[in-house]
Amino acid sequence: MLRNRMVQFLLLYVLALAGLLGLKYGLGLSDYIIPPFLEICRTGLDVTPRYVAHVLNTLSIAILGHAISLLLAFAIGMLAAGKSAIAALVKTAAYNVQSYPIVAVAPIIFILLGDGLLSRLIISVMICYFPLLLTVMGVLSEPVEDIEHFYRMTGHICWGLQVRVRMFENIGKLTTVAVGSATMAMVGTIVSEFIASNAGIGYSIRVALYQSDMAKIITALLWIGVATSLYLILVEWIGNLIHRRVAA
Amino acid sequence: MPIIRCRNLHYRYPEGDSPLFENLQFEIRSRGFHAIFGHSGTGKTTLARMIAGELNGFEGNLVIEGAKTVFYTHNMERLPGWADVGELLRTVTPTAARNDLDRLIETFGLQACLHSRFARLSLGQKNRVNLTRYLVQPFDILIMDESLANVDETTRSIILTEIKSIYPDRCFLYISHNMIEVSRYCREIVVIRSPQKQPQAVCLTGMDAMSTDVVGPSTALEQVLLEIAHAT
Repeated sequence: MLRNRMVQFLLLYVLALAGLLGLKYGLGLSDYIIPPFLEICRTGLDVTPRYVAHVLNTLSIAILGHAISLLLAFAIGMLAAGKSAIAALVKTAAYNVQSYPIVAVAPIIFILLGDGLLSRLIISVMICYFPLLLTVMGVLSEPVEDIEHFYRMTGHICWGLQVRVRMFENIGKLTTVAVGSATMAMVGTIVSEFIASNAGIGYSIRVALYQSDMAKIITALLWIGVATSLYLILVEWIGNLIHRRVAA
Repeated sequence: MPIIRCRNLHYRYPEGDSPLFENLQFEIRSRGFHAIFGHSGTGKTTLARMIAGELNGFEGNLVIEGAKTVFYTHNMERLPGWADVGELLRTVTPTAARNDLDRLIETFGLQACLHSRFARLSLGQKNRVNLTRYLVQPFDILIMDESLANVDETTRSIILTEIKSIYPDRCFLYISHNMIEVSRYCREIVVIRSPQKQPQAVCLTGMDAMSTDVVGPSTALEQVLLEIAHAT
């Protein structure tokens, strides 16, 4: 799993870099726009120690944001699983709020909370949380009729049992979504850093952008890819573990 | 007074082109083991769900007298997969019915399944386990929709006679395509026909056998079989 995902990423990265260099030499673009390969390597070696630290900083926020998103999505999803007025209200609110591009709210968060850790975390959670919530809500609102029928008919059904049945029956789908949302958490954190933070790899990319330093951006992308791949592998492993335990 | 009385029942599925029931009328006069019989698509399951209160929106009268609890079970039901069958059965069995559960497990041949997960059982075992958990519930009427599908004929006969002997005061509506079984073990047989045929339901009397042994002359069974065949 580790080798496959890493090889896939590195292959894509090398292809994209080759494409970029092909564009440079094909269109005769200046070194200022796309630096030559050796320059990219030199800059890469130079900034790598700093960028790795920045990526780890970003990754730690993303992991925290992802964990909070998962907890929130499952808690709210369970609340929305029933047929009560509160459940209906939660569902309607969730569907309406998620239709708004949440990243547009980010400047308000930065104005209110400044550009520290909390702002990055909140934006990361918001970007990751809503798609996750919709899936969890969809899964937990859908009856598993051939199992629930008996419990409903004989009066044994309760909210807890209903949630348990639906989660158990859809454990594969839920773990897949949880794994998929890990990328969203990373995206959310980088976006928040890119907008107005003073730390993390998103902030480093913003600085490199202002300097029009393509080599630094390419290096940042390499380490973002490596870190994201490693995190996805970890989440996939946890997901598989849960899936195997539940299915055993 | 009949336990189930159906008068002038009309029903058409919202997406259906033609009516399923047109002036359907029948009665189940007493408790005991009865059958709803008919070709596929004549509305046996729909009628069962109406009796169980799962399906509304029909016109006419469908009255259940002297029976508060009506359960409907079908052969596609599953048990959750997080525990073994024995534990799941015990969890849903009322304390008063523990002895019945033990007896049913033995009669239905379920001892070997108790420590397995439901998904690992054969189709016949699944149906027997599912039926068992319904039988230990406090019901007045139990509608068994193909509940013994995929169970071998000998075991089916044993199960049917055992149900009749343990629960003589309850009412069962057995839906099956097995004409011999229905003729032999059921007391009242409601044959549902297509809505083009009137009356749409024909009520016949079965042999209501209490044991797996062949009861009475074979001509009696042949007589019931002929009546059902003629009615359908």
